[in-house]
Amino acid sequence: MAIQGFLVVSLLFSCLAATSYGLTFSSLQESLIVTASPKHGQVLSAGEDNIVVTWSFNKSLAAGTDSSYKTVKFKLCYAPVSQQDRAWRKTEDHLNKDKTCQHNIVTKPYSSSNNTFTWTVERDVPTATYFIRAYAYNSADHEVAYGQTTDAHKTTNLFNVQAISGRHVSLDIASICFSAFSVVSLFGFFFLENRKAKMSQAK
Amino acid sequence: MWPSRLHKKLYVTPQSTISPFKLIAQAAECGQADCTRSQSVLRIWKSLKLANIQRLSNMEVSYGAPPESVQKKFALPVDSEHKATEFRLFSVAAPHMRAFHLSWVSFFACFVSTFAAPPLLPIIRDDLDLTATDIGNAGIAAVSGAAFARVAMGTACDLFGPRLASSALTLITAPAVYCTAIANSPASFILVRFFTGFSLATFVSTQFWMSSLFSSKVVGTANGVAGGWGNLGGGATQLIMPLVFDLIHNIGATKFTAWRIAFFIPALFQTLSAYGIFFLGQDLPDGNYSQLHKSGDKHKDNFSQVFYHAITNYRGWILALTYGYCFGVELTIDNIIAQYFYDRFNVNLHTAGIIAASFGLANLFSRPAGGILSDIMAKRYGMRGRLWTLWIVQTLGGIFCIFLGKVGSLGVSIAVMIIFSVFVQAACGLTFGIVPFVSRRSLGIVSGMTGGGGNVGAVLTQVIFFRGSRYSTETGITLMGIMIICCSLVIMSIYFPQWGGMFCGPSSKVTTEEDYYMSEWNSAEKERGIHMASMKFSENSRSERGRRVESAPTPINGTPSTYV
Repeated sequence: MAIQGFLVVSLLFSCLAATSYGLTFSSLQESLIVTASPKHGQVLSAGEDNIVVTWSFNKSLAAGTDSSYKTVKFKLCYAPVSQQDRAWRKTEDHLNKDKTCQHNIVTKPYSSSNNTFTWTVERDVPTATYFIRAYAYNSADHEVAYGQTTDAHKTTNLFNVQAISGRHVSLDIASICFSAFSVVSLFGFFFLENRKAKMSQAK
Repeated sequence: MWPSRLHKKLYVTPQSTISPFKLIAQAAECGQADCTRSQSVLRIWKSLKLANIQRLSNMEVSYGAPPESVQKKFALPVDSEHKATEFRLFSVAAPHMRAFHLSWVSFFACFVSTFAAPPLLPIIRDDLDLTATDIGNAGIAAVSGAAFARVAMGTACDLFGPRLASSALTLITAPAVYCTAIANSPASFILVRFFTGFSLATFVSTQFWMSSLFSSKVVGTANGVAGGWGNLGGGATQLIMPLVFDLIHNIGATKFTAWRIAFFIPALFQTLSAYGIFFLGQDLPDGNYSQLHKSGDKHKDNFSQVFYHAITNYRGWILALTYGYCFGVELTIDNIIAQYFYDRFNVNLHTAGIIAASFGLANLFSRPAGGILSDIMAKRYGMRGRLWTLWIVQTLGGIFCIFLGKVGSLGVSIAVMIIFSVFVQAACGLTFGIVPFVSRRSLGIVSGMTGGGGNVGAVLTQVIFFRGSRYSTETGITLMGIMIICCSLVIMSIYFPQWGGMFCGPSSKVTTEEDYYMSEWNSAEKERGIHMASMKFSENSRSERGRRVESAPTPINGTPSTYV
């Protein structure tokens, strides 16, 4: 009993420690304006198509809010429709447990306006519906603000990526050939076995 | 007097196809009333030595030569059925130990193929756009095919022999593994996992083959080591596949291509092991089924009779149920444990994979330990010892399973999981220390039913406790532990009239091993003499009486003169 109690307390304590250290998404301020070139519902091909991202600081907020921003990291994030029935893409408020944004695009040093870059969708991006989010980091490398291409409910400006299948003609041919070879060897086995048996009968 | 009479009867021409065993049987007429079969056999062999029948050993008679020639022919000591009475792990001598190594390696390959997908799922689920439901269904599909295939495999072993049956199955499921590389949707993924899972039926051929080549004293050990080292594949694959994937990815392939290429490794391994079994293996110590069938030394049995005697033996059904709650539980854990540690304790995927692997890797020693323990208990307490040990070990497995679901810290959880794995896998080994004795005629189908029961248990458990969000995974694990304990209680109802059960001794009217195993043959079949293998087995299974072997009663049915 005492040991169980101790285990429970230590587990709770470690959870507490983690949460008090980790930041939550809801504590971040949406102070960046991010727009991306794909239109709502557009399908991009992984490895081929480009995304042009334009971002800047939201001037309507108080000046000086962005004094602590040092770098901005852009990520490709899953839209709710691609998170359904997929616990490995779940959105959690605690940033170190959140799995919404799993693909890094680029990290740029912070500047408040006239920022744009082009990114080619990488070949290992899976088929899904996405939006783009930017996190601003301070000098201690903690998130302090964010901006995203979609609204708070993640319903607008969502675009799709069609992944590469990973299949190649050479792989297909190799699979079929090896499979056919296995089946043919099986018939070979039966034939050999029958022949051996007939020979031992004739003996 | 003995030598001259034998001399006349045993002088055969090289081309004779009369079974030498029948000849020895005729010569073994033992006139004295107190002459048991084993004593008469011993006398014949001693007198053969005296009669200097070296001539016979130089002729091309396939067996029936004097003892020293028999011993010279096999690298291991053998009994009257030519089954090895010793198990030498580091030997590859044909036919016994070579068959052992071939069968465990091919079974290992099949396990590697069947569970090759789970460690690579984080890549595959992105490539094929799988949902959690698809992944759950694929996991169930992987183990459900073998539920039926194992029974069919048992039949195939009874009729065609384990060598042909297992190499055929291994080869025919290899295309499913090759085609995993070209899967392009959730449906095709579920299909390839389903067909690959059929290869797990090679378990039955492994156990059948070991039971045909090793005597009752060591059959538990042989079955346990072969089964355990095969099951090892389920753990080894969690380490092998990520390594192969990393290697191919680093050479330059993209992730979505690298996992596909990685599947060629288990597929090639499987194909090569099938070739090894076909060309290097041998069904029985004396030859292969097809040769023995054609030469008349092995009777090709009647399928409906074999099937009837398997399904009417209630012990087979009970062992099928209990095996579902040791091996079935092992398969379930193979499918869910990596995700459990990943989600509950937030370890990264590599760590979760290593923990998952350690569950399966415990099979290296725990299942063989179960088999060895079964044989040790049988030496002293006979079949009753085997039954009690199975019940105790499996119930302890259930208790540790309950703990596993309750424990909330990572280190203690890993420790409990390893202890749980040892007990559950030892119970699997103990079960197959008992299966060879349930039936001799229908050994294949009974092995198949028990093995299939294991897979049915895995399907049931995953469907009831680990699908959807009805129970959290830890609650599911605890409930599974309770189910293990309840289902293990039926072991108490197994009763062998010649040896007893857990709570009852042998039957009060004198019943012998012959009575039990001969009840599978009708009098017409006995007249044709096709029941000889079962007779020999009955003789050799006397060791299951435990320490009471010396006071063996003479059989009521069957006269000593018609049998060796």
